[in-house]
Amino acid sequence: MVLFKSVFISCLIFTVGLTACTKKSNLEYGLDVKDTLRINIEQEPPSLDWSKAVDVTSSLVTNNLMDGLLEYNLADPELGVVAALATDWKASDNAKVWTFTIRKGVKWTDGVEFTGQHVIDGWERLLDPKVASEYAYFLFDVKNAKAFNGGKIKDFKEVGIKFNDEGQLVVELEKPMSFFPMLLTHHATFPVRKDLIEKHGDHWTDPDKMVSLGPYKLKLWDHDKNLVMERFDDYYGEKAKIKNILCYMINEYSTAMNLFEAGKLDFLYSLPFKELPILKTKPGFRKNILLSSYYYGFNIKKAPFDNVKVRKAFVHAVDRKQITDLLAADHTPMRGWIPPGMFGYEENRGLKFDPELARKLMDEAGFKDRAKVPRINLAFNTNENHQRIAENVQAQLKKNLGVEVQVQNEEWKVYLSRLRTDTPSIYRLGWLADFPDPSTFMSLMTSVSENNHTNWSSKKYDELVSEGGAALDKEKRRAIYSEAQKLLTEDEVPVMPVYAAARQVMISERTQNFPLNSIERYLFKGVSFK
Amino acid sequence: MIGRLWGTGTALLVASIILLSFFNYEIPTPLVYLTALAFFGGAGVFIFTRGLTIYVIKRCLGAVFVMWVIATLTFVLLRTLPGGPFDSEKALPPEILENLAKKYKLNEPLINQYGDYMYNLLQGDLGQSYKYINRGITSIIAESLPNSIQLGVYALIISYMIGIPMGILAGWKRGSWVDFSSMMVAMSGQSLPSFLIAPIFIMVFAKQLGWLEPALWEGPTYYIIPMVVLGIRPAAVIARLTRASVLEVIHSDYIRTARAKGLDQKTVLFKHVLRNSLIPVLSLSGPLAAAILTGSFVIEQIFAIPGIAKHLVLSVTNRDYPLILGTTLLFSLILVVANLVTDLLIAIVDPRVKMG
Repeated sequence: MVLFKSVFISCLIFTVGLTACTKKSNLEYGLDVKDTLRINIEQEPPSLDWSKAVDVTSSLVTNNLMDGLLEYNLADPELGVVAALATDWKASDNAKVWTFTIRKGVKWTDGVEFTGQHVIDGWERLLDPKVASEYAYFLFDVKNAKAFNGGKIKDFKEVGIKFNDEGQLVVELEKPMSFFPMLLTHHATFPVRKDLIEKHGDHWTDPDKMVSLGPYKLKLWDHDKNLVMERFDDYYGEKAKIKNILCYMINEYSTAMNLFEAGKLDFLYSLPFKELPILKTKPGFRKNILLSSYYYGFNIKKAPFDNVKVRKAFVHAVDRKQITDLLAADHTPMRGWIPPGMFGYEENRGLKFDPELARKLMDEAGFKDRAKVPRINLAFNTNENHQRIAENVQAQLKKNLGVEVQVQNEEWKVYLSRLRTDTPSIYRLGWLADFPDPSTFMSLMTSVSENNHTNWSSKKYDELVSEGGAALDKEKRRAIYSEAQKLLTEDEVPVMPVYAAARQVMISERTQNFPLNSIERYLFKGVSFK
Repeated sequence: MIGRLWGTGTALLVASIILLSFFNYEIPTPLVYLTALAFFGGAGVFIFTRGLTIYVIKRCLGAVFVMWVIATLTFVLLRTLPGGPFDSEKALPPEILENLAKKYKLNEPLINQYGDYMYNLLQGDLGQSYKYINRGITSIIAESLPNSIQLGVYALIISYMIGIPMGILAGWKRGSWVDFSSMMVAMSGQSLPSFLIAPIFIMVFAKQLGWLEPALWEGPTYYIIPMVVLGIRPAAVIARLTRASVLEVIHSDYIRTARAKGLDQKTVLFKHVLRNSLIPVLSLSGPLAAAILTGSFVIEQIFAIPGIAKHLVLSVTNRDYPLILGTTLLFSLILVVANLVTDLLIAIVDPRVKMG
């Protein structure tokens, strides 16, 4: 009886329930697949607040939602800058003062007209110590900006950005910088709507509140799952060709690959590296070299690397080509410091693979008896590929130089804190260009750089880098950087460049005009379907 | 009689919610309230009539103490962990690090930070994430936990549905080929890692046969592979435990009595053996549920399920202190509550158990 009753009741409840319930279907949010570009952005964007975001995912989204004063010409292999929110820009006083003419008639997505004040508001917010933006250093070369961010100056009016009488924006720098316009393509320097941020606080980037002025606007943000951007029809430039962009947040590369193969994704920018040999043969596979560097640094305070001959011997003893062959991921072996594809790249700069010379240098350094070489740790952060590379280097050093090194791995954050406090004898790091100018690489090894963990410093090098950064004449610049590179990778050798990374992507066959480029600026406004 | 009816009703309500969610129907709010009312009301009446009120209050106070110890320990351990939240490949200038430390009050003495944290915690404020700038920990949990619970509940049901019959059969027919083969399956189920089983299932059921979806979390065809893969290991654990327990019960005096009375095999099995041999399985349920929820990281990654286990693991990699504390406390709470509920359920099922 009890059984009968309960079955009856449950059937009743269930039927009532079913009729009362609506079926929810969130898959693709009812978007028309024919007019939707489906991409994998791999993770939840940590922030769409472009003054605060610091990571690749957030940049990808904000770059499609917003424009800066200038933009890269993605059709140009050297990625020169072109007009965006500024129609014209010029340098004066030897590239120490820059003047920008603001574009008229640009509208935000809420209909408000864009003005130069929005740019100033953006910079004030970026540099505000209370906002604590990690990318504030992008503008540290603007006059008094660093002092304002450090709290030494309280009044933003003292910072070097203001209007002139013609309504143009005038930026005054601490020192001459020929590449300054490139910084204005970065989302950290984009204008903001102070009024809306004051009104909504931290929630101003919610889809119902967010206001932007780029080719797309934010339509939906389903945290940890999906994000949808929709074409902004009143965009001042050429309108986007595809109406919607549906972003998935799938961490696992092979999972995303499965969905791509099932025809549910149009674009992947990371592929499972073990499957690369198979994927290379598939239609839609594309690759390009990134402006990046994978390198080892020597701690020159630790013996035996206090001796420049030992450093040279180590670099001569490692065949970088063997490493890129081992990885089989189309990386380019590199000996110089500026990566291929960037202004100032020199193919023959840096020390060649020469085991014989390496042994000779080691002998000359006083280590004829290799047993006398102090214990050397080669450190890297835990990762399968870093491990393969480190073990290869270890084997090459043993074979070509007769020196034993210990490989040692640590968890990423532990590793980073160790680099600061007790740098290992040899450490691994990488660098991805912030902007396509050699200064991003060259300033990495200056004595004031937080990223130089080698303890090496050279007054000459510092001078060359700052001279190179100021030079407006291209050929003069090339010569200065060439000299600096020689000093770094041939004479003093605190670092051993290994390779410039390649990026492999999959693009569905229905899309065309995909904007692949060496700084991974994925702007989708020009993409269309066949 | 009323108690039994009430229990059946509550179970049916829960079952209907699970079924609705499985077939991707919007769950009506009245149904949720009704179920909660039935569950907590029933539990309240049960606790009161059995004189367990003081016991439950004691347990709850104990739970609060446990949570406080966990929060404190996690807080201290995190600060001794090398590497901070703002260490990154591109090192930041000192001015910016100082601004960040000031903003998140990381430059204050540890005891002040601890005091602030506890004060906010008592008000139910778990703070804001460092990594997901401006996002509150509470909202991260609120958005990702339901998916994990959904996955966990399905996996748990699957594991009972497979594990219990398998264990009973193996125990009842001990020494036969049924026993050997099912225990072999259970052994391999327990030892095969999910990152191996998952791709095989995807290969077969999604790519080759095309019956199910390879990833995402959108409906029944998406749920099946992850829930089965996640359920395999607990199913194996349950099967082995059930078998052992059935064997123990079979040899007890009351079963001999039942047999001596001349009862047929079926009655002995279902009325006497089954009921008593499931008590150990029930007592394992609490820890098992918690283990499934915390252990679903790999599954969530492989199938791109927006759940909480990802935050539990990645927050540590990112040194996102508030998120680590939030997820750790959440999982401790789940464990504590699951254990309490299990103990009460045992008290319902097994009259020999005395509490308080």
